[in-house]
Amino acid sequence: MNGEGAIQLNGKVETVFTSLLDPEVLKNCIMGCNQLNKQGDNVYVADLSVGVAAVKGKYDATIRLTDLTPPNSYKLIVNGEGAPGFVEAEAEIQLVQVDDQHTELRYTYEAAVGGKVAAIGQRMLGGVAKLIIKDFFKKIKKELEKVNIAD
Amino acid sequence: MSYIGKPLKRVEDARLVSGEGTYMDDLSPLPNIHHAAILRSPHAHAKIIQIHTEEAEKLPGVIGVVTGEQVAALTRPFPVGVRVPVKYYPIAVEKVRFVGEAVAVVIAKNRYIAEDALSLIKVEYKALDPVVHIEDALSEESTVLHEEVGSNIVNHRFFNYGNVEDAFKNADRVIRKKFHFPKVSATPVENYGVIANYTKSEDAYTIWANFHGPFTLHSVMTAALKVPSNRLRIITPKDIGGSYGIKSGVFPYMVLMGVVSRILGVPVKWTEDRQEHLSASSSGTDRVSWIEAAVKKDGTILGLKMKYADNVGGYIRAPEPASLYRTHSNATGAYRIKNLEVEAIAVVTNKSPTGLIRGYGGPQHYFPLERMMQIISEDLGLDVIEVIKKNLLTKEEFPYQTATGGIYDSGDYHKALNLALESIDYEGFKQKQKEAWKNGKYLGLGFACIVEPSGSNMGYITLALTPEERAKSLPKSGCSEGATVSIDPQGGITVRISTVPTGQGHETVTAQIVADALGVDPASIRVIAEMDTVTSPWSVASGSYSSRFAPIGSSAVYQAAQKVKNKLLEIAASQLNVPAEELVISDGKVSVKNDPEKGVSLKRAVGLAHWNPEGLPNGIEPGIHETAFYTLPVAKSPNEKDIVNGSVTYGFVFDAVQVEVDIETGEVKIIDYTTIHDAGKLLNPNIVEGQIMGGLAHGLGAAMYEELAYDERGQFLTGSFMDYLCPTATEIPKVTIKHIESPSPITPLGAKGLGEGNTMSAPVVLANAVTDALKPLHVSIDQLPLSPDRIWSKIHNKNTVKM
Repeated sequence: MNGEGAIQLNGKVETVFTSLLDPEVLKNCIMGCNQLNKQGDNVYVADLSVGVAAVKGKYDATIRLTDLTPPNSYKLIVNGEGAPGFVEAEAEIQLVQVDDQHTELRYTYEAAVGGKVAAIGQRMLGGVAKLIIKDFFKKIKKELEKVNIAD
Repeated sequence: MSYIGKPLKRVEDARLVSGEGTYMDDLSPLPNIHHAAILRSPHAHAKIIQIHTEEAEKLPGVIGVVTGEQVAALTRPFPVGVRVPVKYYPIAVEKVRFVGEAVAVVIAKNRYIAEDALSLIKVEYKALDPVVHIEDALSEESTVLHEEVGSNIVNHRFFNYGNVEDAFKNADRVIRKKFHFPKVSATPVENYGVIANYTKSEDAYTIWANFHGPFTLHSVMTAALKVPSNRLRIITPKDIGGSYGIKSGVFPYMVLMGVVSRILGVPVKWTEDRQEHLSASSSGTDRVSWIEAAVKKDGTILGLKMKYADNVGGYIRAPEPASLYRTHSNATGAYRIKNLEVEAIAVVTNKSPTGLIRGYGGPQHYFPLERMMQIISEDLGLDVIEVIKKNLLTKEEFPYQTATGGIYDSGDYHKALNLALESIDYEGFKQKQKEAWKNGKYLGLGFACIVEPSGSNMGYITLALTPEERAKSLPKSGCSEGATVSIDPQGGITVRISTVPTGQGHETVTAQIVADALGVDPASIRVIAEMDTVTSPWSVASGSYSSRFAPIGSSAVYQAAQKVKNKLLEIAASQLNVPAEELVISDGKVSVKNDPEKGVSLKRAVGLAHWNPEGLPNGIEPGIHETAFYTLPVAKSPNEKDIVNGSVTYGFVFDAVQVEVDIETGEVKIIDYTTIHDAGKLLNPNIVEGQIMGGLAHGLGAAMYEELAYDERGQFLTGSFMDYLCPTATEIPKVTIKHIESPSPITPLGAKGLGEGNTMSAPVVLANAVTDALKPLHVSIDQLPLSPDRIWSKIHNKNTVKM
C-alpha cells in the first residue's frame, strides 16, 4: 500500500521542521499514541493503539527519523508489532517554503501490514491509513498554531 | 419389500434439527479439561529468534505455554509419501513458513484467559524472503523453504503412455494452453475440534476429534507421537458438521494437543475459530497446468501432453502430493485418448498446507482438460458437441481401460449427453445466442464431461514414487472397509460402521441395506457411526473420503448383513428341518419359500443364539455379532509401468450451463444449470439430491467467488467470510438434475459414489459458458474465480486484477 499528498501549514519552514521532530508534538499528533519515549538519537519507542476494521489492538512501535536535511526533508520509519500483527511504514517528507508564513509539506509513503490485520483488515486498510494521516496533519496544524502564537 | 433405492428420510435429521446433535464442542468426556489458544505467525517466512513466554505464564489461570522446541523434543516429524526430508511438525520449529502457522500454545483454565495470554507472548522474528507463486517456486533462484531439501520442488514425476511422439507427429494441429486454478477451501460449518488426554501410566494418548479419516493418517500420527498404534485411541463424536475433506487436516492438531497434554499433565481442549480455519487449516492446491493437444481436423484427439504443478503450501504433508495423482487413472476423462504424457510436480511455497478436499485434484484436472475441448473446437471451426462426441467413449467400450490403467466399470456417456441436449434445447439456444449478440447481450452455453472416480485405491498415492522406489517397500493396494451387524438377545439390531460420516447420511443408508437383508423395518435398526479405533471395525482405508461409502462402505455393511442373515437361516433351518437354501427372510421371520405358513420368527432364531446355545446346530457359534471387511479386487497396486486403477468405480456427469455476462460490470448470471448424473444404482435418491446440490455449490464457489488469496509478501488476505466469499442460498441458480443408471458390475449393490462430480465440473463448465458468451470479444478464460473485476479486465483488456 502506498500514497502521497501535500498540505499547507502555517509557519516558517524552520518552525515546521522543528515541530515535526519534537517528541511531544509527535505524541500528541499520532492517533492512538499512548506513550512515546526517546530511545536514542532520532529513535523513539511508542505504544500505539490502532483499530483496523474488527482488528483492534496495541502495537509496540519503533519510530526512526533518518536522512535528516534540516529544514527541508527527512524520512520517517515506523515498525510496529503487536497481537494483531505487524505494521511497517516508511514516509518521505519534504518541506517547501511558500512564503514567510506558510510552508508546504509534501509526503509519500509506503506501508505494509502482516498477520491478522492483513487477513481481516485488508479491505479497510487504505481508508484507515488516509484517516490516520489526515488526522495527523490536522493535529499538526493545531500544534503549529500554539508554536506560532508563542513565537 | 426393498428399501434400497427408496427416497427414505434421513434418520440423522431429527436430532440435527432439534438441537440433539452431538458435535466436538458438545463433548466433555473427562474431568479437569483445560483450554488451548494458539499463537500464530504473522510472517509468511521468518526465522524464530526467540520466544518470550514468561509474562504469559504469570497470568493467573494459565497452566503453561508450549513452544515448538518442546514439541520437537517429544515427537518425530510426520512421515510423508515422498522421498524428500521435509520436517513437518504440528508447530513451527526454528522457522515459520506460512502466515497462521502455530508458534506457541497456551493452556489455561478457560479459553478467555488463554486468549488473553497470547498477547503477552513476545516472539522475535527475522523475516526472510517469501515464495508465493508456483512458477517462482519452480525456479532455482527462489528462496528455499526447507534447507534440508535444497529446492522448493518436493515431488516430480514423468509418465508416458502409448505413443505420444507418433500422436504429435500425425496431428493436423497442435494446440497449447496454460491455466491457473486457485487455492480454495471448503469451509465446513463446524471448524476443527480436539480433546486430548495423555496418560503417563500407559504411555497412551486418547484423542477425541472431528477427524473423518483416512485412517492411514493414524499411522502418521503414531509415528509422530512415537507410540505403538494401540496407544493412540481416536474417538470421533456422533456428529461432524461437514468436512468435504478439509477435516482430515485436523491431524497435526490432534498430535499437537496430545503432546501439550503430555507436557502440562492435564487433558486439553481446542476449538478452532473461523480465522484460524481460513488461514491455517487446509485447502486444495492451487495449480498451474500446461497442456498440449494433438488433434486431427475432424476433432479426433490423438494425444495429450500435460504438465502440472501443485502448490502444497509451506509443508508437504500426508496425503499430499496425492492431489496430483487422484485423477491419474481418469486423466483422459471421458475420452478415447490412448497417448498421454504427464509431468507432475509438487512445490512448496509460503502458503498454508493443503490436503483432502471435495473432488480432490479433480477440479484442477478438468479445468484444463475440458477447457481444451472448447478451445479445440473453436480452433478447428467445429461445434464443441461434435468434438466431444468424436472422442467420447461409447457404451460398447465398457469396461474401458484408460491409457493410465483406470478401469471404467460401466456407463453410457452418449445417452447422458443426449439427455442433456434435449433438456436444454441446444439448437434453439444457438439461435437465441445469435439474436442476443446482435442486441448487445452476451449469452453463453458451456459444457463439461466429467468422469467421477469414487472409492479410491490406496495404491494410487504411491505413484508419487518411481517404480524403483516403490519396489523397495510393501506394495499398497485395496480400499478395505469394515462393518459389524449384531443382534441382541431381544432381537434389537445394531450396526457399527467405520465410514465416519460428516453429514452424508450413512446411518440412513446403512439401515436401508440391513433392513433389506434381514427383512425388517429400517426404523427398527440402530446405526452407530461414532468411530473408536479400539472398538470399531476399521481398516487403514476407513473414513469418509473419495465418495467411498456407496461403492465400498455400503458393501461392507451388505456383507456383514449377509453373514448375519446366513447364520439366522442356518439356525432356522435346524429348527424347521428344512435346508437353508429353501428359506427366505422377510417381515421379521424366516419362512419356507414354498410353504410360507411354515416359519420361525426372527426374534426366536436370535433368542436361540443367545439363550440356548445347546439348541444351536453343530458348528454355529452362540451370539449374533458379525463383522465383515470388504475390498475390491480391481484396486491393485501400481505396476512397474505406472499403470494403476486409482478408484474402484467411475460415475459420469454431463453439465450444460447457460449464463449471461454483463460486459459493463463483468457480472456473470447463471440462467440455467442442467446436470446429468450416472452413479450406477442409486441407494437413496433423497440423499443423492442433497449430495449433488452440495457438490455443485462447492464447485460454484471455486468457479465464481472463492480464493484463499495472498499478496506478494505471502500475507494472507482472506481471513473472514467478508473476504473469502462463499456462495449462499441466494447465489445458487436453478438446477435441473437428471439421472441415468448404469449399475456397477463390480459392487454388490451396483452403486457408485457421487457428490464430488459437480465440484469437479462446475469451475470449468462456467469458464466454458463465459468464454462462449464472450466469443465476439475474443475473451478466453484461463483463470478462476470468475469475479466481475477479472472478467471486466479481460473484456477491457486491462490487467487490474493482481494474482
